[in-house]
Amino acid sequence: MPLAAGEKQDSRLTGNDSTDLALFVRTTGEDITGWDRQRIVDALLRETLVDRGTAERISLEIEETVKKGAIRTITGPLIREMVNSKLLELGLEDARRMHTRLGVPLYDVEQLLVQHNKENANVPHGPEATNLTLAEGIKKEYALLKVFTDDVADAHLKGDLHLHDLGFIDRPYCSGQSLEYIKKFGLNLPHALSMAAPARHADVLLAHMVKFAAALQSHFAGAIGWDAVNLFYAPYLEELSDREVRQLAQMMIYEFSQQAVARGGQAIFSDINIYWEVPKHFENVPAIGPGGEYTGKTYGEYEKQAQRFAWALFEIYREGDAAGRPFFFPKPLVHITEKFFRTEGHEEFLELICAVAAEKGNTYFVFDRGDTAKISECCRLSFKLEESDLEDAREPWKMRYSALQNITVNLPRIAYRAKGDDTRLFALLTEQMELAVKGHEQKRRFIEKLLNMGENGPLSMLAMKLDGQTYLRMHRVSHLIGMTGLNEMVKAHTGEELHESDEAMKFGLKVIAHMNIVCNRLGEDTGLKLVLEQTPAESTAYRFAKLDLAHYPDQAREMLQGNLEAGEVYYTNSTLYNVGAPMGPITRVEREGLFHPLIEAGSITHVWLGEHQPDAKALADFVVKTFRFTNNDQIAFSPEFTSCIDCGRTARGLTDTCTFCGSDHVDGITRITGYFTRISSWNKGKLGELKDRYRNRFGD
Amino acid sequence: MTLFTKSDCSLCNQLKAVFDLEAMNVNIEELDKGGAASLAHLAWHGLVDDARKRLPLLVLDDCSTLTDFDQIREALAARAGQVPDAASCVTEPGAGCATGACSL
Ligand SMILES: [Zn+2]
Repeated sequence: MPLAAGEKQDSRLTGNDSTDLALFVRTTGEDITGWDRQRIVDALLRETLVDRGTAERISLEIEETVKKGAIRTITGPLIREMVNSKLLELGLEDARRMHTRLGVPLYDVEQLLVQHNKENANVPHGPEATNLTLAEGIKKEYALLKVFTDDVADAHLKGDLHLHDLGFIDRPYCSGQSLEYIKKFGLNLPHALSMAAPARHADVLLAHMVKFAAALQSHFAGAIGWDAVNLFYAPYLEELSDREVRQLAQMMIYEFSQQAVARGGQAIFSDINIYWEVPKHFENVPAIGPGGEYTGKTYGEYEKQAQRFAWALFEIYREGDAAGRPFFFPKPLVHITEKFFRTEGHEEFLELICAVAAEKGNTYFVFDRGDTAKISECCRLSFKLEESDLEDAREPWKMRYSALQNITVNLPRIAYRAKGDDTRLFALLTEQMELAVKGHEQKRRFIEKLLNMGENGPLSMLAMKLDGQTYLRMHRVSHLIGMTGLNEMVKAHTGEELHESDEAMKFGLKVIAHMNIVCNRLGEDTGLKLVLEQTPAESTAYRFAKLDLAHYPDQAREMLQGNLEAGEVYYTNSTLYNVGAPMGPITRVEREGLFHPLIEAGSITHVWLGEHQPDAKALADFVVKTFRFTNNDQIAFSPEFTSCIDCGRTARGLTDTCTFCGSDHVDGITRITGYFTRISSWNKGKLGELKDRYRNRFGD
Repeated sequence: MTLFTKSDCSLCNQLKAVFDLEAMNVNIEELDKGGAASLAHLAWHGLVDDARKRLPLLVLDDCSTLTDFDQIREALAARAGQVPDAASCVTEPGAGCATGACSL
């Protein structure tokens, strides 16, 4: 006989309230309060496709179990699992799936609260960060159950593919834009408490920029990049003294490097693109100045102001923070172009940015050869500007670029499965890429659904139409296909690593050429803008390695990099050469650069410096040679530092104790994939890689 | 020598009509038909961006590259002069390409 109901509360009256809460029941002996069998029936009818009779029957059986059992506390989650178990017994798998409860085991929550999550070194540990991790965990489960089909989700879970930022399933991946949008429209966000008119002064523009970046960070999973920052600032600088320009540069860098209050205590992954020259596509564009008004000049006329700001920014980078450490963010990306070399003062500027690269490591050198123009951001991502973009450049606030998602292919596993058979290897690679594209289509549909809800939907900020089109321009977004472990794939298939023979290298090129061709074909078939990107693989390189060790232990054991016994295993990132291969920087930059033209959404070569501090002139010479004589897309030099937590001083090189005070309370700092962080926050795979890195010396 | 072309490229077709490239031991890579192998070969010579701008491209045996059509034609004419009898031609793999000695 059904038990009498306690608090009678029809869940239909409570709207969409969690059934889990509504079913919370405590029992003492024979007494049950708050029990209402009807809620099970309601939940089944609301969430699944079972008929009322089945729902009633299940609820009665559960009630019987509860009544018989000696359970002191019955919670909603427990009852839900009991119902799920009944659904399984009845063979109603689809209903069980629809009735799934997403959540986190008690043990895991406790671990999370106490221990540092090292999936992304840019996330510090703290209450806000834990909130972020828990929310991400649930959204990730949701994505795998609801957004993606089983084949795509399974490929991720097994480690054939990696769907990046699943915990941010309801946002695009990253965003690149110019200051022109806020210069023209002010800070005018949907649902904001106040609206700010276009800035009249440089410091106000900075405040708008920082707030807008924070707002964007909460709508994108990853990097927020700004195009030609020094140029678009220029019209605000004419009245400013050199001291004031320097002050502004300092404020900008500190604001972004200390924005650790925005999302989960995570600094905004911010990039600023800097040009010494006025890029050709902005030369004749009417400049927007104070108050959002046209100044009557073109950007071509602001070259000197733009250079003054660029110079000031790099002087600040060179000093580092108050403890002499490099600033982690914003990352400065300097575009090296043909026009750069024709612009007055470029030698001095190149030497300054090379001095920063040698001393602090901040500078990224982005090579735009020929007529190429691009916006760079994230760890290496770049958006090549096409004809229509150069049209948009006349009204630069329109230049808003986004990658919707990144999906990475586990290359070594394909080699394990191909067992030395070429045809099978390429067929499997195509298959995995097709699955990745399917995943892209699924996420795209999901984002479109949210975006179409407009101003009252969850993506209202991206749906705002201040210039007539939605902020997120869906017709321009790209979809990234990444790769991890080309080096180990080639080793597994040919017996040699990329750096070990030309044959191995040629096979590596064939794999990436194949990916390039398949990517283009699938782009034509689906109408999606699909592009290859070198995946930064901060955690993916570790995750794939661990999964392959579990699923393909015999092969993986032979191929993995790192220290197997310490669990510090990893695959080499993207198309990079073995980080430990003893090779000169020129060879590395040249050889790795051969892949770059095939990877259209961005590549980078890292030159690990370690303790050695090269001469700025030697680096400048290296940068010019790289531009002139290689295909390399982007390079960065990575020094290492030891920062003392006790005395606050920073020394060059990685040491166990402070060279100043002898304290062992120290932390290392260097570049993890595409940005600087504290080494104590690194995952085990990256720690393994750090130990293997071959450090280059210049001028020896 | 390797000539990077496309099957529908008219300049390339002019060259194919004038010269017996096969007899001259000129390796032809048709990028629209050769798939990943041809594209990888192009990338190996660092010519992807050049090929995106213009075809044909001719990679000489010393691994230097000609991009100017007239120069390509002259180089092929010179080669044809050197190899008057195709049948007697000894197959010599391009010094750079096959051995991988290409470097900057
Ligand atoms: Zn110290």
